[in-house]
Amino acid sequence: MPTLIIDDREITVKAGATIMEAAKLLGIHIPHFCYHPGLSVAGNCRMCMVEVEKMPKPVISCAMPVNEGMVVRTDSEMVRKARRGVMELLLINHPLDCPVCDQGGECKLQNYAVKYGPDRSRFQEHKREVPNYDLGPVIETEMNRCIHCTRCIRFSTEVAGTEEMGAVFRGDHMMVGPYPGRGPLTSELAGNMAEICPVGALNLKPFHFQVRGWELQEADGVCPHCAVGCHTRVNHKDNIVYRIKSRRCDSINQDWLCDKGRFAYEGMTEGRNLVPKIIPQEGGSLVEVTWAEALDRAAELIKGVAPDEVAGLAGAWGQGAEELYAFQDFLRNVVGTAHLDHRLAQRDFSGDAVPLQRADLMLNTPLTAMEEADAIFLVGADPRHEMPLLNLRLRKATLNGAQVWSMGPRHLSSNLENVEETVIAPGEECNFLRKVLAAMATRRGSKAAVAWAGALRKAERPLVLLGRYAINHPQAELLRRLLLALLNKAESVQEAWQGYNRMVAVANAAAAQDMGVVPHRGPGYQSVARTGMNAREILEGCALGKIKVLFLLGIDPGNEAADSYLAAAAVAEVQVIYLGAFGDRAAQQAQVVLPGLLPGERSMTLTNGEGRVQRCERHVNGPLMAREDWRILRALSQRFAKVLPYNDLEGLRAAMGRGDRRYDPGVVGSGKLGVPCDHGVGVTQGLDVNVDVDEMEDASGPILLWQPSLYDDTPVVRGSKTMAKLAGGVELRIGTKEAKKHKIASGGSVSVECNGHAIQVNVAVDEALEGSVLFGTGLDFRCLGDGKGGFLPVTLKALK
Amino acid sequence: MNQSAPLQIVFKNIHKANSHTLPVYLKGGGYKAMAEALAKTPEEVINEVKTSGIRGRGGAGFPAGIKWSFIPKASTKPKYLVCNADEGEPGTCKDRDILRFDPHLLIEGMVIAAFAVGSERGYIYIRGEFFLESQRVEGAIREAYAKGYLGDNILGTGVRFDLAVHLGAGAYVCGEETALLESLEGKKGQPRVKPPFPANVGLWGGPTVINNVETLASIPAILEHGGSWYAGLGVEKSTGTKIFSVSGHVNRPGNYEVEMGLPLKRLLEEYAGGVRGGWDNLKGVIPGGSSSPVLGKQVCETVTMDYDSIARAGSMLGSGAVVVMDKSVCIVRAIARISRFYRHESCGQCTPCREGTGWLSQIVTRIEAGGGQPGDIELLEELCGNISGKTICALGDAAAMPVAGAIRAFRDEFVYHVEHGRCLVE
Repeated sequence: MPTLIIDDREITVKAGATIMEAAKLLGIHIPHFCYHPGLSVAGNCRMCMVEVEKMPKPVISCAMPVNEGMVVRTDSEMVRKARRGVMELLLINHPLDCPVCDQGGECKLQNYAVKYGPDRSRFQEHKREVPNYDLGPVIETEMNRCIHCTRCIRFSTEVAGTEEMGAVFRGDHMMVGPYPGRGPLTSELAGNMAEICPVGALNLKPFHFQVRGWELQEADGVCPHCAVGCHTRVNHKDNIVYRIKSRRCDSINQDWLCDKGRFAYEGMTEGRNLVPKIIPQEGGSLVEVTWAEALDRAAELIKGVAPDEVAGLAGAWGQGAEELYAFQDFLRNVVGTAHLDHRLAQRDFSGDAVPLQRADLMLNTPLTAMEEADAIFLVGADPRHEMPLLNLRLRKATLNGAQVWSMGPRHLSSNLENVEETVIAPGEECNFLRKVLAAMATRRGSKAAVAWAGALRKAERPLVLLGRYAINHPQAELLRRLLLALLNKAESVQEAWQGYNRMVAVANAAAAQDMGVVPHRGPGYQSVARTGMNAREILEGCALGKIKVLFLLGIDPGNEAADSYLAAAAVAEVQVIYLGAFGDRAAQQAQVVLPGLLPGERSMTLTNGEGRVQRCERHVNGPLMAREDWRILRALSQRFAKVLPYNDLEGLRAAMGRGDRRYDPGVVGSGKLGVPCDHGVGVTQGLDVNVDVDEMEDASGPILLWQPSLYDDTPVVRGSKTMAKLAGGVELRIGTKEAKKHKIASGGSVSVECNGHAIQVNVAVDEALEGSVLFGTGLDFRCLGDGKGGFLPVTLKALK
Repeated sequence: MNQSAPLQIVFKNIHKANSHTLPVYLKGGGYKAMAEALAKTPEEVINEVKTSGIRGRGGAGFPAGIKWSFIPKASTKPKYLVCNADEGEPGTCKDRDILRFDPHLLIEGMVIAAFAVGSERGYIYIRGEFFLESQRVEGAIREAYAKGYLGDNILGTGVRFDLAVHLGAGAYVCGEETALLESLEGKKGQPRVKPPFPANVGLWGGPTVINNVETLASIPAILEHGGSWYAGLGVEKSTGTKIFSVSGHVNRPGNYEVEMGLPLKRLLEEYAGGVRGGWDNLKGVIPGGSSSPVLGKQVCETVTMDYDSIARAGSMLGSGAVVVMDKSVCIVRAIARISRFYRHESCGQCTPCREGTGWLSQIVTRIEAGGGQPGDIELLEELCGNISGKTICALGDAAAMPVAGAIRAFRDEFVYHVEHGRCLVE
C-alpha cells in the first residue's frame, strides 16, 4: 500500500495503482483523451502528463504506477507547458468545425482546448483530410476530427471482441477506421464507440444533427429492453428522448450499453395508443371515448360473463412491477379469476407442478461472478444476441481461460473465445444430456458427450446457462432437470458456487414471477388457493369458448406467443380488453383500448435476470390521454364490488413489499443497488428425470425454427428504424447441404409451407446450420404457427 | 588508449574469404569463447560482461551487463533473447557487415548471452531490406544447428537455445525495442508504453533481453580475453571498440572499427581518407546517425568519439553513423530531408510525434522552399521542445533533436533562408 503525495495531499492506494487512479480518489481531475477505465492503457494522447519529483521528464499518469514516497504535481509549470504543447498538436489537424459537430458542447477536445490549450493557431500548413467510412446504421463518421486516441480500436478488440476497427498507415497519415475490407460494423455494441469517442469523429447516426448537446436534459434510467437492467442516462428535450447513454455500474453493465438499449427509444413514438377507444355496444369499429366511458365498457364486458370466463395475459416487457402486481391483484381479487400468465413464448409448463422457486427461474450467478467461471455450458443459448451485456462477462471469463461448451440447434456467431460447439437436432437435446449423464459415470459415449462430461467433472466454477431456445423448448423442464442432475454430479465444484442459470432475456419477466403473474402462485412465490390456466391453456380456452373475455396487458399474443397461429385464433374468438401503449393487431381487434404508458413515462420497478430490483423514474411525459397502467386498473376496479386497496404509488409499493420482501419500498427506494440472486437455492433434489415427453413430430423433412431476434422482440424495438436496419430483412436461412438438396442458392426466393399457410421469402445459405434445420429471421414467419410438439415441419418450394 | 595498429574485435574476420561460413569461422578460433562461457556459471558470465563496461551499441548506450542482470532469475514465463538487427538509422551500416560477413560471431555472442540470462529461445529481427543478410544468417544458423552450437544440448553441456530469424517489413520504428517486440508478435510495429520494461514484460509477456548486433558480436571477445581486457580498451565509461559508419563528404567512406575515444578529426583524416576538399572545407558532422544533432566544425576539431565527449559537445554517439558535410551543403535542406524521414517513419501512435514530426517537416520544407516567415525559427524551437521527452518512445526526440541542433549550430543559415527566401550556400 504505497503512500504518495499529489499536489501536496497525501494518499495511500493499493499497489499497482496508477497516478491517474490515485488522483481520481483525491478528486483531482487529470485531463485525458485516450485513457478509459474500461479499456487497456494506451498512453498515446499524452494529455495526462504530470510532473514527478526526481524524474527529468513529465510522465503520463494513466500508465505510471505509483511508488512509495512519490511526489506528484498535476499543475506545475512543466505540466501546464506540456499540456499546452499537446493541445496545440492535437488541434493543428483538427477541423475546428465545432459549430456543425454533434459533439460540440460535450467534447473533451473542446473543453480542454478552452482550459489548457493555446487560444490561437500557429499552424499555416494544409490540414489533413481523411476519408469517411460506412460503419452501418449506428455510427456516422467524420474522421477529419479523429485524434487517434484508439479508444474505438481498443473497444472493438478488447471488449466487443469483433476486432473491426484498426489504424492503417503511419505517422500523420495514420487513419482510424474499419480494417480494410471490413464493411459496416457487426458488433451489437457499436454505439459504445461513439459514446467513448472523445471528439466528434464517431457519432451516433440516429442522433446525427438532431439536437445540440446543451439543449438536452439528462435523467438517470434503467434500460427496460432486456433482463440485464443496464444503467442508462436518458437525454431528452420537450418530452422526446433523443439519446440514451450508458451509466457506469460495475455490478451490471460496467461502462457499456448495447445497441438495442441505446436506440430502441426511437420506437417509443411509433404506433401508440393515444386515446381510450371502444367498440360501441351496437357494433361497428373502434371509436374515441372518454376515460369513464371506456372503463365502464370494460367493466361491463367483465361483469357480463362469469369470473372464470375471464383470463389475463401480460407482457412482462414494458410493464413495471407495479403494473404486474396490480394486474394480478385486479384479476384475482377484483374479478375473481385464476387464469393469468405472462409466459406466452413458453411451451412446457410442467415445472409449475413442482413448483419451481425463484432460484430455479432466474440467474444464480451474479453477473460479476460470471467472470470467474472456468467452464461455461450454453444450452440453447445465444447470450450475445439475448443479453449482450451478460455476454461481455462470459467473454471476460473466456479471456481468463474459461472454455465454452455450447449445445444448440445451430452454430453460434459468438464473440467468446474457446468455444466448443455441439449442434443437436431439435428434439434430441434431452437425449444428448442423458448421454452426458451416462458418460459422467462410464466415461464412455460419443465424443461430444464424453467431452462435456469431462469438462463438468473438472469444472470448479461451472456456469450453466439455459437460453431462450431451451426455456421455450417443448421439453424445457426435462432439459432443465437433466442439467441439474449433471451439475449435481459435477464433483469439483467449489462450495458456495452457484452455477445454474435460467437466462430469461425478457425484461422484467423476473418481476412478473415475483409479482405472481402466473396461474399457480401469488406474489412472493406464495401458493394460491386455486390454480388457473397457463398461457397456453388460456389461448386454447379462448379458441374453444371456455374463456370469453381476455384482458391483455401490453401484449399482442399474435406476436409473442409460441403458437402465434393459435393466439390469432384465440383473440378473434373472444372479447378483448387491451391495456397498453401500442396499437398492434391485438389492440385493433379489441373491444376496449385503454392507452397505457411506456418505460420512461412512468415511475416503475424493474427486476433484472439476477433478481435485482431497481427503480426507474419517469423522465418524459407520455401521450396526453394515456395513464399509468396500474392507475387504470385501480380506476377500473372502482366499478366492481372490491376496489384495489391503494390509490397512490406509495400504497401500491407498500402492498408489493408485503407480497415480496425484495420489493420493500424502504429498500428499493433507498437509491442503493439491489442485491443480486437474493433467493437461496432452488429445487435441486428429488426431480424426476425419467418423465415421459410428447413424441416429436416426424422430423424427416426440414424443420423451421423461429424466435425473435435481439432487434425485433418487443413493440418498441420493432418500432425503431435503427433496430429494423440492424435486424435485416425477412430471410430463410438454410444449411449448405440442405440448400443443395433443394437446389436453392443464396439470394433465391422460396415458398415455405406449413399448416396450409405459405410465405415467400428470400433465402440465405448459412454455414452455421446443419442437417435439415432452417432458421427464419423476421416476424413474418409468425403466420406459420407452431408445430405439434413445438417444432415446425415445413415444405420448401424453390421459386424462379 | 592504445595508439598502435587498429585493433579489430568485431570485424576480425570480415576480410577473410567466405568469412560467413562455419569452417572459416572455426579456423579463426570461433565458438571457443562460447565453450568456455558455458563451463562457467551464468553469474560469472554476467559479471565478466559487467566488468567489460560494454555499452549498448544500438544507440542508447545502456551498459549491457547491467541490462542482463535485470532479467529475473525465476520466471513463470519463458525468457527471450532478441537481437535487434533492424539497422535503420540513416547513415548506419555496421550491423549489416556483421550479418553478412560474420553471422557466426553474432550467433556465438547470442548463445553466451542466452546462457547468461537463462533464455532458451532467441530471435534475430532483421531489417526487411537486408535480404542477403537474412539468408546468410539463416545459413549460419543451419550450420550451427548441424554442429550442435545451437539446439537442445549445445556442445553436450545440456544448455538449450533455439534461434530463429524474423525479417521485418521496413519500418524504422521497429528498431525501437518494444516496437520490435510488437512486430515480432505479429502486430503493428508500435512502441509500448514503459514501464513495464522488456526485462520484466517483453516478448509474449516473458522477460526479454534485446541487444544490438554489434553488442552481441562483441561478447565472444569479452569472454575470450576477459572483461578487464575489454575495459582496458577505449576510455573510461566508453570501453572497447566501436564501429563507425563514416559517410558523406569524405574521400574514403566506410565502416571503421576503432577504439572508443579516438578524436573525430583523426577518424576522418586518418581512417576515412580526409574530408573532401581538405579539413578546412568541413562544415559539420552528424556524429551518431541522423537523429543526433549536427556538430559545427569548431567542435569537430576537438571532440573525441566516446559517449561522454560527444554528449558534452551537445550531441550523441548514437549508433556511430558519422555523416560528414562539407561547405557545399545547405543545412536547412539537409534538415528538411531528415525531417521528412522522421515524418514518414513516425508510427503515428502518440500525439507529439504523430502531429509534431509532420508539422516540423512542413515548416522546415517551407523555409527551404523560400516560404519562411518571421517567427518560424522560434516556432520550430518551441515545437521541438513540445516533442522532446513527451513521447512514448525516442523517435520523437530523434525527430526533434536534429532540427533543434541544427538551429543551435547554424542559426544564421536558417535566418538567411527566412529573410531571403533562398540558400546562404550556392
